Amino acid sequence: MRAEGRSGLLMGAPYALFLLAFAAYPVFFALALVFMRWDLVTEPSFAGADNIRLLAVDARFWRAVANTFVFLAIHLPLQIATALTLALALNRPLVFRAFWRAAFFLPVVISGAVVAILWNALYATDVGLINTVLAKVGVSPIPWLTDPSLAMPAIAVMVTWKNVGFYVVIYLAGLQYIPRSCQEAIELDGATAWQRFRHLTLPLLLPQTILVVTLSTINGFQLFIEPYVMTGGGPLRRTFSVVLYMYTNAFSYQKMGYAATIGVALALIIGAVVAIQRRIIGTAEAT
Amino acid sequence: MPPVSFERVCKRFGTVGVVEEFSLDVADGELLVLVGGSGSGKSTILRMVAGLESVTTGSIRIGDREITHLPPRQRDVAMVFQDYALYPHLSVRDNLSLGLRLRKVPRAEIDRRVGWAGEMLGLAPLLERKPKQLSGGQRQRVAMGRAMVREPLVFLFDEPMSNLDAGLRAQMRIEIGALQRRLLTTTIYVTHDQVEAMTLGDRIVVLANGRIQQVGRPIELYRRPLNRFVAGFIGTPPMNFIDGALQRVNGGAAFVADGVRIALPGDRLATGAEPRTLGIRPEDLRIVAGTSSGESDTEVTGRAVLVERLGGTSHIHFDVGPHRMLASVSGDPLPDVGDVIRVQVPPANVHLFGADGVAL
Amino acid sequence: MRPLSRVGLYLALTVAAVTFIYPFLWMASSTLKPPLEFGSLALIPDRITLDNYRIMWSRAPFGRALLNSVFVAGTITASVLVLGSITAYAMARLTFPGRRALNAATVAVLLVPGQLTLIPLYTLIVQLGWVDTYAALIVPYLFNATAILMLRQFFLQIPQSLIDSARMDGMSELRILFTIFWPLARPPLAIVAIFTFMGSWNEVLWPLLVVRDEQTMTLPQLLTVFALGGGAGTLGVSLAAAMVLVVPVVIAYMFLQRYFIESMAGAGVKG
Repeated sequence: MRAEGRSGLLMGAPYALFLLAFAAYPVFFALALVFMRWDLVTEPSFAGADNIRLLAVDARFWRAVANTFVFLAIHLPLQIATALTLALALNRPLVFRAFWRAAFFLPVVISGAVVAILWNALYATDVGLINTVLAKVGVSPIPWLTDPSLAMPAIAVMVTWKNVGFYVVIYLAGLQYIPRSCQEAIELDGATAWQRFRHLTLPLLLPQTILVVTLSTINGFQLFIEPYVMTGGGPLRRTFSVVLYMYTNAFSYQKMGYAATIGVALALIIGAVVAIQRRIIGTAEAT
Repeated sequence: MPPVSFERVCKRFGTVGVVEEFSLDVADGELLVLVGGSGSGKSTILRMVAGLESVTTGSIRIGDREITHLPPRQRDVAMVFQDYALYPHLSVRDNLSLGLRLRKVPRAEIDRRVGWAGEMLGLAPLLERKPKQLSGGQRQRVAMGRAMVREPLVFLFDEPMSNLDAGLRAQMRIEIGALQRRLLTTTIYVTHDQVEAMTLGDRIVVLANGRIQQVGRPIELYRRPLNRFVAGFIGTPPMNFIDGALQRVNGGAAFVADGVRIALPGDRLATGAEPRTLGIRPEDLRIVAGTSSGESDTEVTGRAVLVERLGGTSHIHFDVGPHRMLASVSGDPLPDVGDVIRVQVPPANVHLFGADGVAL
Repeated sequence: MRPLSRVGLYLALTVAAVTFIYPFLWMASSTLKPPLEFGSLALIPDRITLDNYRIMWSRAPFGRALLNSVFVAGTITASVLVLGSITAYAMARLTFPGRRALNAATVAVLLVPGQLTLIPLYTLIVQLGWVDTYAALIVPYLFNATAILMLRQFFLQIPQSLIDSARMDGMSELRILFTIFWPLARPPLAIVAIFTFMGSWNEVLWPLLVVRDEQTMTLPQLLTVFALGGGAGTLGVSLAAAMVLVVPVVIAYMFLQRYFIESMAGAGVKG
């Protein structure tokens, strides 16, 4: 073999081995674990389709899935509307433009744990910043994180705040590609600012919107640190996320097989939801 | 009421003047061409009519409406952009009809107009395609169609040929000219190409540095340029210029420069300012056969430097003393490089310009 | 744009920017307030106290956790940069059997959601006896598919002539990579460095799974455990702990925002 081929093999081999050990093996073993019962201490035993059957009727699991949809129902529209608005506002020659963009992006670089702890303090019913401000205008304290119907929406708002800067950057990049002459043409065609947005800007930002929806959805299904830190999954399991459930099964209950089953199910659900979303947005574009 | 009129329109960025004191009335149904180099202000003027640039001082009217500060959508003008500015996500049909849909024109009327424009421009088979599936020429037609369906008061064209190859350009010139004559919509057309200006324009406005150099019909600009800039700008190949002076000679006059002496009728002396530049178009020069029978007073003698054979016409580049000149002749015989040639300069075709460039 | 709407725009942007920045300022000032004052809107406390920090520091090994985080994130970043470059170079400029498969596998890895492999990876760590070790925190992250693809993309654009002349001079491939490609690759290397370091610095779920011993915990992990475990007592102390994690990042961000934004936004899109 030529020298180049030998060097290439040598240089590429470590990564290939790494992939085998830390990518390929875990995927296959995850699928295998679905059919096993194992507590990491005793020998694993074959469990047939027990895990799958249990999962199908596990109220807690489906509660977690439903919670995620509640989360997404608030987070997705809020994220798109806010990110788009801010991007449109920033998409013009402004003084200090870099400053605004940096301000919006700041929470993106901060650890999720910190943001969760911070908002725990902001949402605190008695001394939290939000209720303190509301008290100044005469609103009595709102139990953001202790009211079962408010907790997940509260988390959704927080996650929107954390990530919106990221999507502002994405939308800004997309806005650069809308030709100036097209904007002028549509003005001459008779469009008001709103019509220009609806007929030109929004349709041309479709790829970005798809990206926002897809990434936000995946992010929503991966929710962990926020409920873990802020509510522990409560109140009334209303903020229990799927990943949190998977974690507790593995870490607290030592049920590896079941936890792996949750992981696989989650991956499948994410795939299905994203596929459906792309289909819906695709057809919406056609109109 | 002229369909478009400019009154002392100025455009300045801070202290930098881009358009100065532009006043003009556009005639009903005419195709007016604004021509000039880059920085001449031609595109700025067009965009001020469209409302895409603000007017610093002065006023623009369309009909009897003062539109100087109206937003573009209220002006009832349509524009064909240099890059066509087609909406990339819409089909050709939707591109054509969007303006009408935005103004809530009834569906039947939209269909009628789209059909009519599609018919005229040969767009019928393309109606369902998207812009990226079209060639440059097709895109330009869609851009024109989009302007046409709105049946506006004024058409504006912003260098629409820039992105087309030469062959297509020649063809589109003919089509646009024919279309405009059929529709008789008042049109303002911007280009840097003087051939386009000469062939398309009913009238031409030559611009330089934001000011009008001359306005007139193409043939007027060609025969009677008002200054050296217009003389050098209009006509291909460009006019030959020789700097020198006019002298009184034997009851007449002669233009004298290094190696050059051309007799001119005496009345050319009487115009007040001192002529400093002589201009003669390449196509007005004649190469005289045979050796000279003494210095003719309407001839120059030079040495051929380059002979470009273009088929019917040929361009002879020759040096007269320090001056490089060009003659555009047809037929034979053609001199060889290095030959000494005699070139006749008909006095009737001579242009004279003063020190300030103005024609005399 | 008319002047009035311009003013309105700047006003709106300022309000928006405040909602993103103010909570951090409030957090910082709250850590300097005694418990009685906590919750007040004033940014400057009546009585500035460092008690929260004292308590926080004495109750849990934050200094140690800080060092752990620096070590783990630093090692991972160095590894991703070096090993990732080697892999990317091979994939971009060398022909060898299996190259196309490796390429496809790298792209495929990005499609697999992390949740799927989380549990088996955990069991693997347990079986290797790596619980509570730095190995558990570092080894699964030695290579980063996004980084490799990004570097590969960049390496593809370097002219072949540079490689050819270097080979004729007798340079080994590794030499070519580190003496010729690396100096040219500062922008993508910086981008990879930032999102890798930040990703590792902020990672919580994985450490929570594989590390139980406080001495080995990373900073965000210790912070979480501390805030949840009641060790904090008051919110002021929790926030003080959070500040230790946040302040270095904010300072770095203030100087390098452009790189942060380009890096984390770009990586997120590719992922």
